[in-house]
Amino acid sequence: MSRYSSGSTNTGSNHSQITELFVKKILAHLDDTDPQKLNQFLTLFNPNNGKIVFNAAPFANLSLFLQTWQTQVVQTQHALTAIDYHVIPGSQTLICNVNCKVRFDESGRDKMGLDATVQQNQQQQNRNRPASRPLWGTYFGVSLQLVIDERIFANDMNGVVSAFNYNMVYKPDDSLMRIL
Amino acid sequence: MNGYHNVNSISALAQQQSQQNRVKVGVRNWQNGSVQDLMNFLSRNTRIAMTDANVEGPLVTGYVQNRTDADALMRWNGIRFAGQNLKIEILEDSNGGTSNTIMLLKNFLYRRYNAQAKMLDLGNLHADPDLVQKGLFSSISTQSKMFPALMKLASKEPQMVVESINLSDNNLKDVSGITTLAQSFPNLKNLCLANNQIARFRSLEVWKNKFKDLRELLMTNNPITNDKLYRSEMLRLFPKLVILDSVIVRDEQKLNVIYSLPMKLQQFFFETNDLGSSSTDFVANFLNFWDSDRTQLLPLYTPQSQFSLSVDSSMPPSSVADSDQNPSFGYYLSSSRNISKVSSEKSIQQRLSLGPETINNAFKSIPRTKHHIQDRPNEYSMQVISYPQVNGFIITLHGFFEETEKPEVDAYNKSNGPTRTRRFNHGHNTSNNRLSKKSFDRTWVIVPTGNGVVIASDLLAIRPFTSAAWVLESQQPVTNTSSISNSSGVNPAANTPPFASPVPGAIGTAGAPTAGALGTPVIQPNNPAMPLNGGAVPQIAPTLQLPPDVQSRLNPVQLELLNKLHLETKLNAEYTYILAEQSGWNYEVAIKGFQSSLNNLPREAFIQ
Repeated sequence: MSRYSSGSTNTGSNHSQITELFVKKILAHLDDTDPQKLNQFLTLFNPNNGKIVFNAAPFANLSLFLQTWQTQVVQTQHALTAIDYHVIPGSQTLICNVNCKVRFDESGRDKMGLDATVQQNQQQQNRNRPASRPLWGTYFGVSLQLVIDERIFANDMNGVVSAFNYNMVYKPDDSLMRIL
Repeated sequence: MNGYHNVNSISALAQQQSQQNRVKVGVRNWQNGSVQDLMNFLSRNTRIAMTDANVEGPLVTGYVQNRTDADALMRWNGIRFAGQNLKIEILEDSNGGTSNTIMLLKNFLYRRYNAQAKMLDLGNLHADPDLVQKGLFSSISTQSKMFPALMKLASKEPQMVVESINLSDNNLKDVSGITTLAQSFPNLKNLCLANNQIARFRSLEVWKNKFKDLRELLMTNNPITNDKLYRSEMLRLFPKLVILDSVIVRDEQKLNVIYSLPMKLQQFFFETNDLGSSSTDFVANFLNFWDSDRTQLLPLYTPQSQFSLSVDSSMPPSSVADSDQNPSFGYYLSSSRNISKVSSEKSIQQRLSLGPETINNAFKSIPRTKHHIQDRPNEYSMQVISYPQVNGFIITLHGFFEETEKPEVDAYNKSNGPTRTRRFNHGHNTSNNRLSKKSFDRTWVIVPTGNGVVIASDLLAIRPFTSAAWVLESQQPVTNTSSISNSSGVNPAANTPPFASPVPGAIGTAGAPTAGALGTPVIQPNNPAMPLNGGAVPQIAPTLQLPPDVQSRLNPVQLELLNKLHLETKLNAEYTYILAEQSGWNYEVAIKGFQSSLNNLPREAFIQ
């Protein structure tokens, strides 16, 4: 209580822009297909007690989440639709309430570009696929809550995210993706 | 005077009446038992009385009281008796109802339907003596109408769960006569079109993006199979096709990985077990006041507490079930603090309410609402995680509310809103202020104090109404044939309703508006550093051995439920899991389902 009631509410002028940019950065990381960039994403999260909850299921740690996301989820595309945040005085953190949409590559290929087709013969195997573009499905709705250290306002992004609560809130009937 | 005051003739009339209503049914495949055995078996299992049993060739015929009973009996079609699947059919209504074609087709459908295999066999219709005899193949026009009629009828029979359809040997030159198949059975898994004359891809094009669950397709003995592009075209048309003409064309495991999220959406997450009940209480009580009298909530806010709302006006896709494609946000837009839309830093600051007084004003400018967390708990989802930096918790609730009345204070006429007056001078119309259902995501940061809680932060996001992502389509009743829980025993609506308990008495009445109004210690101060996957996990019985990948997907509440079920039922890990899943993770439902299907469970289902 004492921590909470001390300090004052900071409503700095460019804080909302920084917050928005930071959230966009997180969404962009989720959409990235390059496994090399995973490490960069990792650095944003608090390595000690960062919490990940995805579709109401917790992940023991961030790298497990990112590995699952990288290997078992097809390419995604997030679009930010709403964001609001409160800086909680005395906590040196802010909480963000974010809404976005996400769609999945429904071409049948994973992030590595591999599909499930059983190769019929040598000839087909050798046929080089043209650099394939994703076939985006219909948008799902997402609600995302983040707890971020106030340090982002000082341009420090190391280990700033301490909670990540990502949940799908609506689903289209015409998607091939199963989320249940 | 035909003696109608005579009691006897009345009962005779009644008897005649009931004779008129009764329906003749036939049962096939009863070889390994006597007629009496069969009758006993049927009345025991179906609870439907069949009278005047008679053997007619391979058929046992008899009468049931009325059409309703006959239809109910049809649901048992395929039931196992003495090692055989019984075929039950409706032979005729004594009142002549069969003369009508719909009845004929319906009866035909049921004769061709195998409930156990969930298969509708529409193969070789030309050779069906009944259809031919009734003249359904007399002309091309009746023939072409018959398929769509059959499809429509079949899709309207709730007890007919169709996963497989056989349409082989029907002289089909293309699929134009059966395109409606895609509307009637969009989730079809197996389709057989063998021994037809289908020659062109073009006609199949109408099924592109339909049949998203089609797993197996059989097209042997159609000219189309000789085409060089046949395989790739079929793969293109049916994205989840695994077996084509008995050859595996896709790796099913890989396909599942691609088209499903490894993190399956669940309705609830509580970081620790004890957070579950206290946070559901908090939310139920909060919303109760939010709907009835918001001023009662103000004691929960301190001078440093913050509240703001943001409008997510982005339109959900029209293919989202029940989505509001014409939402109105008139009452909210003027106070929306959606910083991805509001560019003026000044407005962003103004739209943040700080302290009870300002928060009260904000509350008054939001329409009056009705939440349905008690009576429709399935439509709400919640996550609770600790927030060690404030020694508190974050509760996030997703769901919907109804707008019941316009706001107490109209934001447009607010005297203290100096920047608001000009903007709405033009083109403002009342349709923006229509009251309707909305979906929302609300996040409270709450900090336990000695005898209650305070709300440090309250973030409300308003969006167009949609049905919820976590609501299963299969929460409509599904006839389960081979499953643990018997279909009638499970009430799908009873799926984990943590909000179902009535609001504690301390609320509701004119409770003193103090911080303790939400019931004494609403949220117990808790060890905030509790690890997500660690200490919270309940002790698991050593005989409940779950595969690690399964276990890692379960939350502590689910694990505890599994454990409890396992100990109670002595089922093995696999069956315990199936039981829990089928019951929608509801203990009561699971136990009921277990008891009702106890006799049908194999020995290996139990701990050995």
